[in-house]
Amino acid sequence: MEERRYRAVSGAPIALRRRQHSASCWELAVRGPRLQLRSLSAVTSAVWLAAYGLFVLSESSMVLSAAIFITLIGLIVYLHFVKIDQESLLVIGSLGIQVTSSYASGKESTTFIEMSQVKDVVINEAIHMQKVIYYLCILLQDPQDPQGVSEVVPLFQSSQPRLDCLMEVYKSCQEILEQRKTAPQSSGIK
Amino acid sequence: MAAGGPARRAHNVCMVSDFFYPNMGGVESHIYQLSQCLIERGHKVLVVTHAYGTRKGIRYLTNGLKVYYLPLKVMYNQSTATTLFHSLPLLRYIFVRERVTIVHAHSSFSAMAHDALFHAKTMGLRTVFTDHSLFGFADVSSVLTNKLLTVSLCDTNHIICVSYTSKENTVLRAALDPQIVSVIPNAVDPTDFTPDPSRRDDSITTIVVVSRLVYRKGIDLLSGIIPELCQKYPDLHFLVGGEGPKRIVLEEVRERYQLHDRVRLLGALEHQDVRNVLVQGHIFLNTSLTEAFCMAIVEAASCGLQVVSTRVGGIPEVLPENLILLCEPSVKSLCDGLEKAIAQLRSGTLPSPETVHNKVKTFYTWRNVAERTEKVYERVADEVVLSMDERLNRLISHCGPVTGYIFALFAVLNFLFLVFLRWMTPDSIIDVAIDATGPKGAWTKQYFLGKKGRVKEEILNS
Amino acid sequence: MVLKVFFPSCCSSAESGILIGRWISEQNSAVILAVVHFPFIPAQVKQYLSEVQQVTKIKVSVLGSWSNSKQEKEESLSEFLEDLGTIFSHEPWIQISKERDSKFWSCSTLQKQSNSPKEEEIILVYYDQRKVMLSHLHPPLDTTPSTDHKANDASKLAAMFDTVANSKILFMTDRYDDGPIKLTHWQSDGVEASIIVELMKQASVPACMLLTFLLSLTSAICKRRMLKFWPLPFLWSKLSTCEQLGHRLQHLQVISSNKKAQNQIQLMRKANIFVSLLIDVALGILLMSWLYRKNRIGHLADTLIPVADHVAKELQDLLQWLMGAPAGLKMNRALDQVLGRFFLYHIHLWISYIHLMSPFIEMILWYVGLSACLGLTVALCILSDIIALLTFHIYCFYVYGASVLSLLRLYCLKIYGLSSLWRLFRGKKWNVLRQRVDSCSYDLDQLFIGTLLFTILLFLLPTTALYYLVFTLLRLLVVVVQGLIHLLVDLIDSLPLYSIILRLCRSYRLAAGVKFRVLEQKHGKPLRLLMQINPLSYGSVVQTYRLPTYSCYPKDSWTSLCKKLFFGELIYPWKHKGEKQD
Repeated sequence: MEERRYRAVSGAPIALRRRQHSASCWELAVRGPRLQLRSLSAVTSAVWLAAYGLFVLSESSMVLSAAIFITLIGLIVYLHFVKIDQESLLVIGSLGIQVTSSYASGKESTTFIEMSQVKDVVINEAIHMQKVIYYLCILLQDPQDPQGVSEVVPLFQSSQPRLDCLMEVYKSCQEILEQRKTAPQSSGIK
Repeated sequence: MAAGGPARRAHNVCMVSDFFYPNMGGVESHIYQLSQCLIERGHKVLVVTHAYGTRKGIRYLTNGLKVYYLPLKVMYNQSTATTLFHSLPLLRYIFVRERVTIVHAHSSFSAMAHDALFHAKTMGLRTVFTDHSLFGFADVSSVLTNKLLTVSLCDTNHIICVSYTSKENTVLRAALDPQIVSVIPNAVDPTDFTPDPSRRDDSITTIVVVSRLVYRKGIDLLSGIIPELCQKYPDLHFLVGGEGPKRIVLEEVRERYQLHDRVRLLGALEHQDVRNVLVQGHIFLNTSLTEAFCMAIVEAASCGLQVVSTRVGGIPEVLPENLILLCEPSVKSLCDGLEKAIAQLRSGTLPSPETVHNKVKTFYTWRNVAERTEKVYERVADEVVLSMDERLNRLISHCGPVTGYIFALFAVLNFLFLVFLRWMTPDSIIDVAIDATGPKGAWTKQYFLGKKGRVKEEILNS
Repeated sequence: MVLKVFFPSCCSSAESGILIGRWISEQNSAVILAVVHFPFIPAQVKQYLSEVQQVTKIKVSVLGSWSNSKQEKEESLSEFLEDLGTIFSHEPWIQISKERDSKFWSCSTLQKQSNSPKEEEIILVYYDQRKVMLSHLHPPLDTTPSTDHKANDASKLAAMFDTVANSKILFMTDRYDDGPIKLTHWQSDGVEASIIVELMKQASVPACMLLTFLLSLTSAICKRRMLKFWPLPFLWSKLSTCEQLGHRLQHLQVISSNKKAQNQIQLMRKANIFVSLLIDVALGILLMSWLYRKNRIGHLADTLIPVADHVAKELQDLLQWLMGAPAGLKMNRALDQVLGRFFLYHIHLWISYIHLMSPFIEMILWYVGLSACLGLTVALCILSDIIALLTFHIYCFYVYGASVLSLLRLYCLKIYGLSSLWRLFRGKKWNVLRQRVDSCSYDLDQLFIGTLLFTILLFLLPTTALYYLVFTLLRLLVVVVQGLIHLLVDLIDSLPLYSIILRLCRSYRLAAGVKFRVLEQKHGKPLRLLMQINPLSYGSVVQTYRLPTYSCYPKDSWTSLCKKLFFGELIYPWKHKGEKQD
C-alpha cells in the first residue's frame, strides 16, 4: 500500500492510494480534499448575517429560525448528496471493475461492471466547465457489435485528478486488463 | 525568407475559425488542406471551431490533426455570437495547454476568429489573419464590418489575402500598411479533380453550376439566364448542385417554364461528389456577385470544363485568358458569354479536357500554399508582439477617437479578465496536451488502425 | 485463468464433507450450494443429485471436498478426501480446508488428467445464500430467446444468481429430516415459513372468485347501459370520474384474475396495484370521516354560493372595465360594446343557474362525499369535474360552440386572415400542395380588396386581442387547477408503493447488481472477497415498476403552448380519445 500526493484539475491537493491485494486485484482510491472548517464557517456566518439583516428590517423572528433550519438542511444535503470524499476503483482480474464513491456522510454508492462487459479503460479529453481536461473512462462493450462501444463510464468525476495521476491509475488498470488478454491465448496453446 | 532551409523552426499553430468540417465550403477545405500540409512539414497544428450539432468536444482527423469543437452558441449563418469576453477562458486554456505560439484566424465573417485574435494579442501571442472574402464600402452593414475589421487587424502581426484584388480591398477597408499583407492564393487538389469525358453525354450540352444557393453567388442572375437560354437551345441542360435559401427561386423558374427534365437541382453535395457532378458537364457557369478567389472555377477547369464567369473581385487573376470567358454581372452579358462558349463547343475549337487539366494542375497546389504560409510564420515569429501600452496607442491612433477609446477600454478589461483567470487557474496547473500530430507525434499511423486504448498506452510507455 | 469459488457464508462452520454445486466451465467458476456431511454412501449421493438435477434442470454435481478440522490436522482425513476425488470424478477437484478458527482457508485444485500441476490462482467469494436466492437482478432478462442460447450469453452474475434461485428444492430439507444424506445450507437449521402467509394463500382463492363474479356482473351492466343511450358515452368520456372508476375496475380485474403471474414483473405489478388500491381506499375513508364530522358539508355548501356570487360580480366588474377604456387603451367602440354585452348576458345566465341550484347543493355534496369510500382518487376526480361544471361560463367565453361570434374563433380567424393578407401584401401566396410560400402576381382588384380587409382587421385586432387575453388567462387558471388535481390523482395511481416498501425494508430483494468487499489478506492464501447485493436506487425502482395511468401528461412544451395560445388554438384540460392511445 502506498500513498502519493497529486493535484486535481482545479489545483486542490488530492491523494492517490494504491493497494495490491493480490496479483490480479488492485484497489485505487483518490481522496479529495477534506471539508474545510474555514469555508464551512464562512458560509454559515454569511447565511446567518443575511438572516440577521432581514430580521432587523422585517422584525420577525421567523427569519432567524428559518436561517438555522436552512443551514442545517443545507449542510445535511451537502454532506449526504454532494460532497464526495473518496472515489475508489477496485479492479479484480477476470471478475470485474467496481467503482465506489463515498460521500462525506459515509454514504457509499457502488457500481460493479463485469469484466465481460468491459472493453477497455482509456484516458480521454473533454471540455468541462470552461476547461479542457483529461479523464479516465471505462468503455463498455456493445453486446450486438463486438467492435462497438455502447457506453462510456467516466471515473473520478468529482475529484478530477490531473494527467500524471490518471496515468498511474491507467497503468495499474492496464496491467490487469493485459492478463485478461493473454489468458485465453495461453489456454489455447495448452 | 532565408530561414526556409532545413534549420527551420517548428511552430505550434492554432487555426481558429467558425467554419470547419462538417460545414462545407472554401474556407473549410482551405483550413483542412493547409493544416495537413503544415503537419507534413513538421509543425504542430490544431483547429478550433464551434460545435456543430452533436459534434462537440475534441476530435482527431487524419495525421492527428486535433480539432476542438467548442460549445459556443451559434448566432447567424454558422457564426458564433460574440461578447468579446466569454470565449476567453476556454481559448486561453487551449492556447496554454497546447503551447500555441501562432494564432492563425480565418475569414472575416467569423466572430470566433476575431475573438481569438483579440485574446491572443492580450496573451502576447503572434497573430496571423487570412481574409477569404470581399466587401463593399457603401452600405451600412459594410461600414460597420469594416470598422470592426480595422479594430481587429490594426495590431495583427500579419494578414494573408487570397488574391491581389482581395489584398487591395482589405488594405482599403481596414486601413492597413500594405507591407504586412501577403497574397497567397487558394489551391485545389488536382488529383481529386481529374477529367472524365466518358461520363458526359455529348448529344446534349450541359451547363454545370456548383455553388451555395445564396444571394452573393448571383442565383437571381441564374434564374434569368435559365429560361432565356433554354428557349434558344432545345438541347441545353442545366445541372445545379448546392443548397440554400435561393433554391426556391430556381424551383419557381423550373415550374413556370416547365423545365423539369432539363434543369436538375441536386441539392447539397458532399465534397467528394463535386467532381462526379462536374465531369458530367461541358461548360461551368459561375454567377458570383463578389468573390475573393473562386475555387469553384479552378476545380471546374481542372476537370476540363470551359468556364464562363462574371468579372468580379479576384476572379480575373485566377485563370489565364484562354481558359475562361469573363462577362459583366448581368443576364444579358452572361447569356452572350454562354452562347459564345456553346458556339465554341459546337465548332470543336475548345481544347480537350486532358490538356486543360494538365495546364491547370501546375497552377495551384497546397504544398506551395503551405510553404508560403510557413514563410509568413517565420517572419511573424521574429517580430515582437506589441506590449500593452503600444497596443493601446495603436488602437487609439488607428481607429478613430470614439472606436479607438472604446476598444482600448475593452482591451484593458480583457487584460484584467486574463489576470483574474491566471489567478484562478495558474498556467502551471494546466496539463500540457499530448502532441499527437505529424509523423513524430505520439499517435503514429499504425496505431490509428488499432484500438484507442492501445494508442493511449503507447503514449504512456513512451 | 483465475478460478472463482462462490462459497455460501452459512456453510463456513459446517462439518467436513463434500461440496456440491454447479460448475460453470466457460467462466471457470464454481458455485457451491451446500455441503454434504460424513457419513454418506457415494451411490446415494449420486442418486440424490440426479434427482435434484431432474427437478431443477441445473447440473448439480460434487465439486470437491471440504474439511473443517477442529483439532490437530488429521493425516488420515486429508488422504481420505483426496481419495474421494477418484470416486466422484470432477475436473478440477476443489479442496478447501479450514483449520480450527482461522479465517484464512487453504484452497487447492487437483487436475487429474493434465500432467503439469500448474498453480492456479483462486478467488474465494463468500455470498449470503438467502439473500441471493430471494433477490431479483435488474434489469430483468427477457425470457423470449431459447434457453440454451441465453445461458451462453448471460453474464457471469446472472448465471450465478439463476443457479442459486433455481435450486430451491435443495434447501427444502433441514437437518431434522431423516434422509440418507445430511446437508448444510442456509435453511439447514429449520425451513422458514409463516402460518399467516399460508392462511392468506388459502383464503385468497375464494375471495378472488367472488370478486371476479361481482366485477363481471358490473361490467356487463355498464356495457348494456352504455350502449342504450347515445349521448351517454360521450358524456362519460368527458367526465374524469368515470375514467378513474373504469381504471380502478380494470385494476380490480387484474388483481382478482386467477391466472398465475408468469414472471417477476407481473407479480410485482399485481402487488403494486393491490397496495395502491388499499392505500387509496384508506385515504378516501379518512377523508370521508373528516368530512362527515361536525357538519362540515353544511359549512362548505354555505360558503360555496357566496363565493360563486363574488366571482360573478368580479367578472362583471372586469367586463365593465373592458367596455370602457381599459388601461387607457382606446378601442373600437362598437365591437367593444357588442363583445361586452354578449359576455355580460352569459354571466347573468350563469348566476341564475347557480341560484336555481342553491337549495340542492348541500344534498348533492352529501352524496358526492360518499364516493370518497371508493378511494381518494375518485373523490379528487369528482372535485375536478365539479370545478369544470362550476366554471362552465369561463369555458363558454373561451369556446362558445362553433359560433363565429365566439371569441376564440374570432381571434383565430383574425390571425389567419392577417397572415394570409400580409402575404398578399408582399406578392406571395401559400402553396397548399407544396407546403411552401410561392411568389404570385395579383390583379389590381384583388390587391385593393385584400389591402382594405387587411387594414380593417389590423385595426380591430387590439380589441379582440384584449378580450382574448383576459379570458384566456382566466381559462388557464382553471386549467392549471384541474391539472394539479389530475397530477395528484396520477401520482396515487402510478406510484409503485409495494416495490418502494420492499426496497425500504428488504433492500436485497431488488438487486441492481452486486458489490464486492475485499476481506483481510494473508500471503500465500487465496484472495477472499465478500459479495454483497447492491440494492436498486429508488429512482429506478419507480421507473421500472411505475403503473400505467389512463391520462397522459401534456406532451407539448412551453414554447408550443405559447404558440398555440398566440394563434388562438384550443387548449383542453382533458385529452381527446385519440391522444390517449399513446
